[in-house]
Amino acid sequence: MDSLNALFSLGFATALTPANLLWALLGCTLGTAIGVLPGVGPAVTVALLLPVTQSVDPTGALIMLAGVYYGAMFGGSTTSILLNTPGEAGSIVSALEGNKMAKMGRAGPALSTAAIGSFVAGSIATVLLTLLAPVIAGFALQLGPVETFALMMLTFAAVSAVLGNSPLKGFIALLLGLSMGLIGIEGQSGQSRFTFGLLPLIDGIDIVVVAMGLFAVGETLYTATYENKIAGRIESLKGSFWMSKDDWKRSWKPWLRGTAIGFPFGTLPAGGTEMPTFLSYSAERKLADEKTRKQFGKGAIEGVAGPEAANNAAVTGTLVPLLTLGIPTSATAAIMLSAFQQYNIVPGPLLFDTNPELVWGLIASLYIGNVMLLVLNLPLVGLWVQFLKVPRPLLYGGIIVLATMGAYALRQSWFDLMLLYIIGVLGFLMRRFDFPVVPLVVGLIVGPMAEKHFRRAMSINEGDLTVFLTHPISLVILLVTAAILVVPPLMKRRQALLDSAR
Amino acid sequence: MIKRVTGEQLLAIGIILIGLVMAWQIGDIPEEAGYAGIGPRFFPSLVVAGLIVAGGALLMQRRHRNGPDTILSAGEDDTEQLEAEEAAVRGEANWNMFIIASGSLLAHMALIGLVGFTLAGTFLCFGICRALETRRPALDLVLSFLLALGLFHLFKTLGLNLPALITGVL
Repeated sequence: MDSLNALFSLGFATALTPANLLWALLGCTLGTAIGVLPGVGPAVTVALLLPVTQSVDPTGALIMLAGVYYGAMFGGSTTSILLNTPGEAGSIVSALEGNKMAKMGRAGPALSTAAIGSFVAGSIATVLLTLLAPVIAGFALQLGPVETFALMMLTFAAVSAVLGNSPLKGFIALLLGLSMGLIGIEGQSGQSRFTFGLLPLIDGIDIVVVAMGLFAVGETLYTATYENKIAGRIESLKGSFWMSKDDWKRSWKPWLRGTAIGFPFGTLPAGGTEMPTFLSYSAERKLADEKTRKQFGKGAIEGVAGPEAANNAAVTGTLVPLLTLGIPTSATAAIMLSAFQQYNIVPGPLLFDTNPELVWGLIASLYIGNVMLLVLNLPLVGLWVQFLKVPRPLLYGGIIVLATMGAYALRQSWFDLMLLYIIGVLGFLMRRFDFPVVPLVVGLIVGPMAEKHFRRAMSINEGDLTVFLTHPISLVILLVTAAILVVPPLMKRRQALLDSAR
Repeated sequence: MIKRVTGEQLLAIGIILIGLVMAWQIGDIPEEAGYAGIGPRFFPSLVVAGLIVAGGALLMQRRHRNGPDTILSAGEDDTEQLEAEEAAVRGEANWNMFIIASGSLLAHMALIGLVGFTLAGTFLCFGICRALETRRPALDLVLSFLLALGLFHLFKTLGLNLPALITGVL
């Protein structure tokens, strides 16, 4: 029980200092606000805060960023239940049943089951993280550059082929991200690449500019072009706010099942929250008895409780590969990784030895953050509902001003504003033609790391490319990668053949 | 049969073009074979090859209800129906609004060094409000100005100096 020991002696000691508690509270509050606002996700927020946190000590900054990540997931459910416009991908499913419940005047219980479910799932998932992380980190210590490179290939394959509905588009997004990652000085040889003779490109394209461009500018351009006519309607909070005895009885099993589905998905390289939430939803529908199943689609509380729990468990799950392997599996995790890099901290197995206060402090702050979020989201939910009343034009105007400011503040140059606009147009096109954005962000951050590990592997093994297949762990990882790429299309073809035979 | 070039195919051509431009730029990276023959040109070459191949695949792709990503034989092509269905869901594009939003962003870029953060930010925020068809422009103009001014002073106290028209005030 070394990990419990470390958690209590190091973790809580770090997380419970007044300064760090304040950072956690700030992060959770900001995250909830951001989660509630439609159109702003945790990825933009974390990116926006990167320049601001540069002068804060790393532990406090990372505790705050984790709070934002977490809080956005809590807050997102409020928007999808009351407004039926999910702010985050992981809240799409909660909108299905949650908004129906709100229409029937049961917004209170829907919000409660979402918040309590998120709390339960988040806490259980954090316990799992506490127990698992040191074990995985210990295992990861044995991984050399060969295996790490193989793992990164697996991540690339998983984020592009599994997320979204078109693997080809996922790959194109990944390749665009990798291309952006190539721009600038290459670390090992010191040569500049793809700078087109432009001085500002030598440092590479900053993740802040990419995240703002894709998520804020791209989203605004898309909304302006396509979604002006769509008007949202806020459901009011009427009727009893608390869950009835029956609601509790119907909620606790979905919470636990959602956690069980969500956490493993989060830890996989194909992380993300869409899949586990959808799986949890369909599981709840299948497991429901005759009477309840009829309620699905009309406001079944199980359909909110399960997916919300799965969502939060998955978010915690993504911290496992991020902290133990240094591999991000979602856009927000990728941006958090660059926050670590900003402090010259390399997340990975060594982190538990080199910066134990930071890791354990961060994990301990998740327990505290969960409690804070429960308080912020249950009794204070009325406050957040006010946020939904900000008129959309002004909301987007504000987001854009903040985004341009974040990009401009990097080095006080109009060049970054130009890049921001160009990437914004790219984000618009990707949104318009249904390209997933996560592979691009992951490619941008992990691409340069993968190249470094590849070249390190080559220099150790004297340029022998077969090492990737002769090292057993690497071979297994690459086989899994191949399976991810090959199996789903084959299954689809088989299904199509079966359908046509019938 | 000549088919209309879809937006997606134009995009595919764009991706191939990016790949070709990058391929041409690889020649500018000094060839200095690093350790074990893997130099700074190796990874870019892989990415460029990937972009051109994937762009080509997107160009050739015909879509079908049951399989999004296959190059299907002619009879199984659902591309046009699918696109029409998606367009119906998406709604009509309003390019005027795209131009207003883009213009605001580009004008902000040009203006920020000249008139300072507050005024450029006010203009930008107001422009975006217009692009999103605000129903109360006058109020939004005032609020945009207050927002930009507030941010300017907030970040001034945080020690981040944004360009100003009148130093420290606006």
